[in-house]
Amino acid sequence: MTGEGLMVKRKVPFELYDINILASKDEDLKRISSDMSLGLSLDEMKVIKGYFEKEGRNPTDIELQALGQAWSEHCCYKSSKSILRQFVFGIDREDVLSRGDAGVMVFDDKHGYALRAESHNHPSAIEPYGGAATGVGGILRDVVCMGAQPIGLADPLCFGPIDTAADLPPGVKHPRYLLGGAISGIRDYGNRCGIPTVTGGLFFDERYIGNCLVNVGCFGIVKREELLRNFAGGPGEVMILIGGRTGRDGIHGVNFASQDLTATSDDDSRGAVQLGDPITKEPVIHACLKVNEQKLITGMKDLGGGGLSCVVGEMALAGGCGADVDMEKVPLKEEGLAPWEIWVSESQERMMCTCKPENVEKILEIFEMWDVSATPIAKTTDSERMRLFWKGEKVFEMDLEFLTGGPLYDRPYTLPKVSTKKDEVFPDLPGNNEVILSLLSDLNIASREWAIRQYDHEVRGATAIRPMVGKLNMTGPGDAAILMPVRGSMKGLAVTTGCNPWFTALDPYKGGMSSMDEACRNIVAVGARPNAITDCLNFGNPEKPERLGEFREAVRGIGDFAKGLGIPIPSGNVSLYNEGSGGVSVLPTPMIVGCGLIDDTRKAVTADLKKEGSTIFLVGKTLDEMGGSLLFRKYGGSGGDVPGVDIERLKETMDKLLEAMDKKLVLSCHDCSDGGLAVSMAEMCISGDIGAEIDIQAEGPDMKRALYSESNSRWLVEVDEKNAASFKDIMKGYAVKIGRTGGNALSIPKAGVSISVKDMRKAWSDPIWKIMGGSNQ
Amino acid sequence: MAIIDIRIDLKKGVADPEGSNTKKTLESLGFKGVADVKTAKVFEVTLDMPAEEAKKVGEEMCRKLLANPVIQNFSVTVR
Amino acid sequence: MEDHGGIQPMRPEDVKVCVLTIEGTNCEDEMADAFRAVGAQAEKVHLKQLIGKTPPETRKDLEDYDILALPGGFSAGDYIRAGAILAARIRSSIGKEVERFVDDGRPVLGVCNGFQILVELGLLPAFDETMSKTATAALYTNDSGRFECRPTVLRNDNRGKCIFTSSIEKGRTLVMPIAHAEGKLLSLDPNFVQRLEDNDQIVFRYVKEDGSKAEYPWNPNGTESDIAGICNPAGNVMGMMPHPERVITRLTHSDWTRNCRSMEGDGLPIFRSVVQKIR
Repeated sequence: MTGEGLMVKRKVPFELYDINILASKDEDLKRISSDMSLGLSLDEMKVIKGYFEKEGRNPTDIELQALGQAWSEHCCYKSSKSILRQFVFGIDREDVLSRGDAGVMVFDDKHGYALRAESHNHPSAIEPYGGAATGVGGILRDVVCMGAQPIGLADPLCFGPIDTAADLPPGVKHPRYLLGGAISGIRDYGNRCGIPTVTGGLFFDERYIGNCLVNVGCFGIVKREELLRNFAGGPGEVMILIGGRTGRDGIHGVNFASQDLTATSDDDSRGAVQLGDPITKEPVIHACLKVNEQKLITGMKDLGGGGLSCVVGEMALAGGCGADVDMEKVPLKEEGLAPWEIWVSESQERMMCTCKPENVEKILEIFEMWDVSATPIAKTTDSERMRLFWKGEKVFEMDLEFLTGGPLYDRPYTLPKVSTKKDEVFPDLPGNNEVILSLLSDLNIASREWAIRQYDHEVRGATAIRPMVGKLNMTGPGDAAILMPVRGSMKGLAVTTGCNPWFTALDPYKGGMSSMDEACRNIVAVGARPNAITDCLNFGNPEKPERLGEFREAVRGIGDFAKGLGIPIPSGNVSLYNEGSGGVSVLPTPMIVGCGLIDDTRKAVTADLKKEGSTIFLVGKTLDEMGGSLLFRKYGGSGGDVPGVDIERLKETMDKLLEAMDKKLVLSCHDCSDGGLAVSMAEMCISGDIGAEIDIQAEGPDMKRALYSESNSRWLVEVDEKNAASFKDIMKGYAVKIGRTGGNALSIPKAGVSISVKDMRKAWSDPIWKIMGGSNQ
Repeated sequence: MAIIDIRIDLKKGVADPEGSNTKKTLESLGFKGVADVKTAKVFEVTLDMPAEEAKKVGEEMCRKLLANPVIQNFSVTVR
Repeated sequence: MEDHGGIQPMRPEDVKVCVLTIEGTNCEDEMADAFRAVGAQAEKVHLKQLIGKTPPETRKDLEDYDILALPGGFSAGDYIRAGAILAARIRSSIGKEVERFVDDGRPVLGVCNGFQILVELGLLPAFDETMSKTATAALYTNDSGRFECRPTVLRNDNRGKCIFTSSIEKGRTLVMPIAHAEGKLLSLDPNFVQRLEDNDQIVFRYVKEDGSKAEYPWNPNGTESDIAGICNPAGNVMGMMPHPERVITRLTHSDWTRNCRSMEGDGLPIFRSVVQKIR
């Protein structure tokens, strides 16, 4: 604890300290911040000192702790906000219904759909099972507090190579252990809550060894008349704390999330990892939706980072009022918590709602029915100040504007040097048969079935297109999943994930664009129109100019794409300080979770080849863009142009392809991404259990680029021979016939390729099973 | 006050996939000589009654809820 | 035409279904919707409403229902053993009423976790009495040791006793998803399968797509004789691991984009069978 003289215990029958910052010099201020784990800089401490000088008194320990939470990167986005504001905020469209804890878009005349993604990186690096599970819990709450029923989960994950034999830095756990734990955590939590996990991604790279990324996304459906706000309706309302009890778990989670991981994080930070309880969550969802349906509440918000300290202030301030809190009423897991611990605890499964006093009783009755604890703990006031009382003693009184305002920084950044064709070194390659098989068995391509089948992806009985598609028990990778959230309606919500961290590392602007392109082309591949995205931006330490430069450029790329295509981003999340011990930053990872709409799900398309003798088209243009490609990573190439996006061209291609799908001209469709055209074609053969003969007009190195370049905005499309001409008519110059389906091998005579579908399936299916244990046979 | 440990394990002949998977994983981590891994579940129950009675009550708990006689054995020991 | 004994079948819209929930059950919405899809009235009822632990105006009586459905999920977290806690709670509260309900010939359906509950509750296999005092079978961890979510193909092997397959011809195959970690049906009785067979208690078996004998992954959990669903000796209680309520329309089948014979899902006939047979 802090040195003598600075902390004065108040003479009350509980633990409360007044912190003498008015008399503190710079050194003392720094020490207070570090001793109390506030995570605040000296400048920030000075601003706080100035505030309390005006108030004419010293702060209590609770007040300082609350500021530490509210002013953390995680809560107030102090390093990222100015960049986000410049490039991605405010991309508007009339069908954005809300930009609350989750974004909400128009689904149909009566319904909206909610979307939101979030990172749970640091806790998962320490304790992957609990970290990932509570990540799912948090994202479900974000959707529920819009009044929406969660309908699907997304789980993009990034780990070190799970077969790495490298000596791991001290304190770093083996990626195989981390992956196993994270998948189990998502499985147990998602499955038990009864929400299908329908999309995601697994990304493996050395640079995730020291700091894995666990991102989770959630989608929901809400009747538009039941759409909920995340703040109080005004003064004179009651705040009811719902769900789990408050304990010491998760104390200082946000500060932990806003620092790099170090070798000792393990021992220091276990307290910052929370334990989840899906069987509390499930009835919490039921009960919360019920009280909203009966119009008993005015607002709802989840207790995430910062716990009570953030949620009470934000709900009051946004509702134009203040709050008086009776802290003794907060139900506790254990006795003996100091008031400040209660105030900042991040215990799971808690939500807050606001209501008119006359509705309190009815609300409590509904929660009682579900055995969910619900306790009125605060009242909103007309003061714009928050006051906390403990056993009659006022322990906290602050201006809400000041508390939740937080600092904003324009930190210095340097623009990264980007990879170009000029410095391209094209690697030596073995024969194309060997290349294709080895790309198929690369960890970043190989079948994710080991993970996917552990998730219930069809609970709720509304999953029309699954993450894996094709013949029963012979499935291959799909592009996007489709949910049919409104019973009796054919309208579908397509959901997917897009990200290319390798492109982003070599050219952050194009990487941001490419990640958006991937999400959009996945959605188009199933026959849906991209509608909105949410993102989870995982980057390194923003206090390092080159890291912040990567962030800025990637965000600019995302923004340009979104504006160009008219895609709103109604919610988003930023996770900075993703660096392992030794300061190795993760690959810059702009994870995009995309949503699309399809009016008639019966017209949806999947990636598996459907029959022999149909025509295969390549839609979109292959360019000499080898930078960051899987081929280069695998065979030691370097440099090269990173794939860019021609928005106008994408728009036209997309419109035409969707028109052809709407006319039922498309039998199957798959996007070209990692591994290029060759890998995409192989995947379509695997899931359809049908071969294909491909004829590409190219020679020498041009042939290799045609096969393995990862140019954006491309799809492979199977069209019934009798419809080939009509398809061509619609697509104009945007589609080129490249072959036909049939036989039991993929053959590309001009490239010397001939591989049986069986061999491709084996190469693709086995690798992750082999490492993680078990088998699909 | 008595504390009892209730141990639920699998009957002989009932396959133990969790145990055998754990064994495989331990071997893959380089542990040598792992002959067998079995899983069991332990409940620690504190009862406000004399030890002898607690043992009987514990056994009743197993029969009524904690064990499925088709696949599981139980044993109750008083601390 | 069988003899109705003068009692006419009920009209589907008069059939009342109780879909039982507690914390952790999570397939109740689709279960209720499945019954509604064949015209019945389905109501989600919390166990507390049946045992008088809620305000009087929300209480329900099992007597008032014609069908009891136990949906899937993780009732009470599946702690201890899958289904054990809810089974113990039912037994200690409305055990007698449930037994009477079954003795009355009224249908009871348990899917996935619901099947696990029926076994823990002694309503299945129930060789010797309506509801055995302790479980006489178990649904145990899959051979793979993992939770698995995948499509399976089922063959109706029931010779006519089970009310839930009354309109499904014997030998017909149906595609339905499974999603469970504990689905391996076990008994210590060496003649278990034979007894089930003799009593016509086997309802569904896992088979390959062409109808031939299943092996993993077609039999996803390793159950002996590929058993996916069984009924009681009277044929009015059925438990099954696969989820018929998830495939009411063809659009939620896993391979409908390549295989779309009709828009009707393979789960629908089960609900239609039972609702048509209620009298």
